[in-house]
Amino acid sequence: MVSALLISVGAVSGISAFLALLMVIADATIANYGEVKITINKDKELDVKGGKPLLGTLMEEGIFIPSACGGRGSCGLCKVKVTEGAGQFLPTELPWLSEEERSNNIRLSCQLKVKNDMFIEIPEELFNVKEFRSRVSGLVDLTHDIKQVSLELIDPAEIEMVPGQFVQLQTPEYELTDEPVYRAYSVSSNTSDTRRIELEIRLVPNGICTTYVHNYLKEGDEVIFNGPYGDFHLRDTDREIIFIAGGSGMAPIKSILLGMVDENNPRRARYFFGARSKRDLFLTDKMKELEQKLPNFSFIPALSNPEPDDHWEGDTGLITDVVAEHMESGNNTEAYLCGSPGMIDACIKVLTDKGVPEELIYYDKFG
Amino acid sequence: MKQTPQMKKIQDNMRPGVLTLNGFLGTDTRDLVEILEEDAAEVRRLRTSHRAIAEKMSILRDQGMRGLGEFIDVEPHFEVRVDSVRGGIPSPFGDAGLLRKTNTTVRNRRLTREIVFTDVNIHLIGEHGFYEGRGSLFRLEPAELVEILEVETEKQQTDLPG
Repeated sequence: MVSALLISVGAVSGISAFLALLMVIADATIANYGEVKITINKDKELDVKGGKPLLGTLMEEGIFIPSACGGRGSCGLCKVKVTEGAGQFLPTELPWLSEEERSNNIRLSCQLKVKNDMFIEIPEELFNVKEFRSRVSGLVDLTHDIKQVSLELIDPAEIEMVPGQFVQLQTPEYELTDEPVYRAYSVSSNTSDTRRIELEIRLVPNGICTTYVHNYLKEGDEVIFNGPYGDFHLRDTDREIIFIAGGSGMAPIKSILLGMVDENNPRRARYFFGARSKRDLFLTDKMKELEQKLPNFSFIPALSNPEPDDHWEGDTGLITDVVAEHMESGNNTEAYLCGSPGMIDACIKVLTDKGVPEELIYYDKFG
Repeated sequence: MKQTPQMKKIQDNMRPGVLTLNGFLGTDTRDLVEILEEDAAEVRRLRTSHRAIAEKMSILRDQGMRGLGEFIDVEPHFEVRVDSVRGGIPSPFGDAGLLRKTNTTVRNRRLTREIVFTDVNIHLIGEHGFYEGRGSLFRLEPAELVEILEVETEKQQTDLPG
């Protein structure tokens, strides 16, 4: 009796699995969705071949949606509003979408296939995103685990971007990956130099892209990236500025400061930078140089655990404590933060306690 | 124990390119049930439990968070750094929503040894007794975890005075 039941359950499961497999194969090989139309922002129309994921289809048309995993469905960044033509939510999309996003027709474009005419909405600034070929013109160890990568643009030869934005760097196939993957990194250089960019990349344990950059990338190598992305940029106001960062969070803040130098920006600005000991500090000479060029700017590095050999005479303690100690009232202040989610959350608390309105705290969370 | 259809579905989620680029199985060709059973036997041999290991990982991760992305001293002789990268990863068991891509690095100064684990590891070990397959980039050996993180074992518990 039990064995008969098990055999029938097994048979049904087997047939179901076989049929599912047939459907997948048929979808990939036989199904022909023909030409379909994608209407973007009720304005721009694209005639495309149906059957591929929306992310890749848009990429082939030169429209890049931010995606840190190269379309594998493991970063959840490539969200797009699809008002018509999307069909049911897929199981692979659901973990990434909140209830609110689902009710607003937000979809994961790397998972959603274009099978019929579609109406989508994307931010206008994404039309400015392009794919770039570049060459590595410099690799500098800033600390024991942060490397500065300089890239000279080949094609297109120039990039227009705002200080504080990021690009997505492609890691080609190598020992840790059998296909190209993309990861997002903030640009650290002066964006007025449109022919090159610099990135500051911290080695992440087992990280596919960071391991490639630290252990495999060489000067002269060709590198592909796309961008620019992001809305982390200096707001045009008269308020005092507080910058807070640690580690590779230095990158977008440095780019913003270089932009301020270009504009002769007279605003009062203080930059709090946290590190554990002197070996984790970098670009302090560059920051001193910026203090000379920006009359109302000061750089305040703080070490949480200086070594005796460091002979450190600057601020000590966690960066949040140092900010709290230095800051007076934050009523006429806005803040720019870059770091891990834990660091950002702790800094927001300190800043709001000091009276900085939460809506004037801008951040680039790594997480 | 035999691999159930449910277990097979979970193992399919663990393959490269399904939830993550490299998957959770590495070069391991064993059934998921065998992987779980062998690691469970190892944990029993070490006289501890998956939950105790995951709990120690969580405690060190939470204390390391205070370092705001830099290494911080944690009693009695650990240095811990917690850092995050963009994005998240769903559990292949389909039970935890999205887990942050957070790495915790623990240095044991007494042993001069170091281990790195993720929030995904903590969840998979604590809830499912899964340490990832052999050859996986994020595979953790139970014995190394117990030794480097100084997870309390039954023997140590019974050795404690009254």
